[in-house]
Amino acid sequence: MSLLHLSFYSTFTLSCLGLAFHRAHLISALLCLESMMLALYLALSTWPVENLTSSSSLTPLLMLTFSACEAGTGLAMLVASSRTHGSDHLHNLNLLQC
Amino acid sequence: MKTTLLLNSSMLLTLMIILTPTILPLATTSKNSAPSITRAVKTAFLTSLVPMTTFIHSGAESIISNWEWKFIMNFKIPISLKMDLYSMVFLPIALCITWSILQFASWYMASEPHITKFFSYLLIFLTMMLLLTTANNMFLLFIGWEGVGIMSFLLIGWWFARAEANTAALQAILYNRIGDIGLILSMAWLASTTNTWEIQHMHTTSQTPTLPLLGLILAATGKSAQFGLHPWLPAAMEGPTPVSALLHSSTMVVAGIFLLIRSHPMLSNNPTALTLCLCLGALSTLFAAMCALTQNDIKKIIAFSTSSQLGLMMVTIGLNLPQLAFLHISTHAFFKAMLFLCSGTIIHSLNGEQDIRKMGGLQNTLPTTTSCLTIGNLALMGTPFLAGFYSKDLIIENLNTSYLNTWALTLTLLATSFTATYSLRLTLLAQTGFNRTPPISSINENNPMILNPLSRLALGSIMAGLLISSLITPSNTPPMTMPTLTKMAAILVTTLGIIISLELSNMTHLLTLPKQNPYFNFSSSLGYFNPLTHRTNSSNLLLPGQKIATQLIDLSWYKKIGPEGLADLQQTSSKTLTSTHKGLIKTYLGTFTLSILIILMTL
Repeated sequence: MSLLHLSFYSTFTLSCLGLAFHRAHLISALLCLESMMLALYLALSTWPVENLTSSSSLTPLLMLTFSACEAGTGLAMLVASSRTHGSDHLHNLNLLQC
Repeated sequence: MKTTLLLNSSMLLTLMIILTPTILPLATTSKNSAPSITRAVKTAFLTSLVPMTTFIHSGAESIISNWEWKFIMNFKIPISLKMDLYSMVFLPIALCITWSILQFASWYMASEPHITKFFSYLLIFLTMMLLLTTANNMFLLFIGWEGVGIMSFLLIGWWFARAEANTAALQAILYNRIGDIGLILSMAWLASTTNTWEIQHMHTTSQTPTLPLLGLILAATGKSAQFGLHPWLPAAMEGPTPVSALLHSSTMVVAGIFLLIRSHPMLSNNPTALTLCLCLGALSTLFAAMCALTQNDIKKIIAFSTSSQLGLMMVTIGLNLPQLAFLHISTHAFFKAMLFLCSGTIIHSLNGEQDIRKMGGLQNTLPTTTSCLTIGNLALMGTPFLAGFYSKDLIIENLNTSYLNTWALTLTLLATSFTATYSLRLTLLAQTGFNRTPPISSINENNPMILNPLSRLALGSIMAGLLISSLITPSNTPPMTMPTLTKMAAILVTTLGIIISLELSNMTHLLTLPKQNPYFNFSSSLGYFNPLTHRTNSSNLLLPGQKIATQLIDLSWYKKIGPEGLADLQQTSSKTLTSTHKGLIKTYLGTFTLSILIILMTL
């Protein structure tokens, strides 16, 4: 596949793995989430260019909006957990652990 | 007609007389006592001379068959008694020796509260031994065999408050039991293959299979204390001296050899079994003679001497000469019983002292006893024309002129010289020299209860060899011609042993022994046999047994493969899987990616 496709496939996969296997901090998960969104944005933007359908050029902008909202929500949760526990360590979020 | 009638009736009368003191107190109100039992045995002895003289005069043999035990359809087990050379000559000898020993025991065990029980035990033992000797089938022989084993146990442990006596009695039973396995094996083979247990049917024309003969040799090894199953015989000296004199010198220990003599027709066809007997006997005789060299207990020296002579009898069986072995049994019984009675007199006179290093100078204080001791030792060494000469010298001559194992020959000659050495050591240390006993000892042998048996046995030790060998027709010709050195071989090695013993006893009087050397240690610790085998064998048998019983059966098959194993499996798997169900996001995300990866890989 072309270099562009490779770049966002690999970005998406690596960020997915980073999200699943993050270790200590919540913010690293959020960062991985952001890079996943970025990769998705790139992919969605490449699609009308390659398939020459200009009617789906709106899709990346919608996605970008929603990712910004989601990033805001994530950061709000980060701030809330750091206000409650004093840090953003993931082992603080253990309310449901049995 | 009249000969067989006389023979059978006098033989049955003898056996009835022996049974009388056992049965009569059960039927009537008469009680036994020591003199009555002695009188019974004396009467039986005099009666048993009749069949023996009948046999010597006419050569008549007979088999008496009584009631038959209808146990299985095709298998006959009658009560049959065989009167042939061996039983008819052995009976008077055994009865004469038992009579002498009972007379002696009336003096020796005079302070014993249960003396009547002791005499009854000896009588029951004698009955069993006579049953063994006159048995015509293996069933009766087995009954007699077990009977002498049990009586040996009861008599060795007579002073049962002693721990060593109990250990020795148990040891005797255990070692005899190992031999009994061989006997039962042979009996089973005979019953299944030849369908009879009669001794006159134990004859094969072609080569006998080795298995039943191995069983018989194992039985003889156990009962007659050959090397490998020998430790019980020196330990059996814990019993009273009359017991040692009767059982473990003349009568019981020859039961194994007697079994091999009875089964001789089968044994002579199999060269492997004969060679095994030869080598085993040679090894036993040398080992026992070597152990006797450094013993200090008078009874143990005589016990090892018995063991050595039993090895010599086994060698004779290995040479295919059963009649010569029987001759040696007969002559050996006389002088060995006499040696034990002399030692009993010495022990009682010195107030319980059994260590020869603490005896000495007894020739002046116990003249008759020490003379008999000397006669017995000379007969044992094979001095020409005493009793032992006729059997022992013939055995050595046959051994020298046969085409058999040189190793066995060398060992036997070496053992003969050792016999002379330890016998002379015993004589020198116990009789001659200065008195090493404590000062106050009531030495008195002027009791007809001692002197009569002793002189009777001394007479037997001198005359028995000549009488028996001249009155019995031999079954095979002895070797007539041999080189002079071969003829003088036994005398030469005996003289060599005497000279060495004189030299060694001089050494102990004039010089001091500097330090321990390995040969002395080997001999005085009886070849390290007892500690090596008693512990390893029993732990090798018991440890796997324990492992099988507890760990294999109880633990593995009842627990691990069943409920506990399942429980362990469940526990392990639940322990492993619990960590994934804790409610942590990371685990869930990890499972998620893993599943995605697997799906992507299979696309």
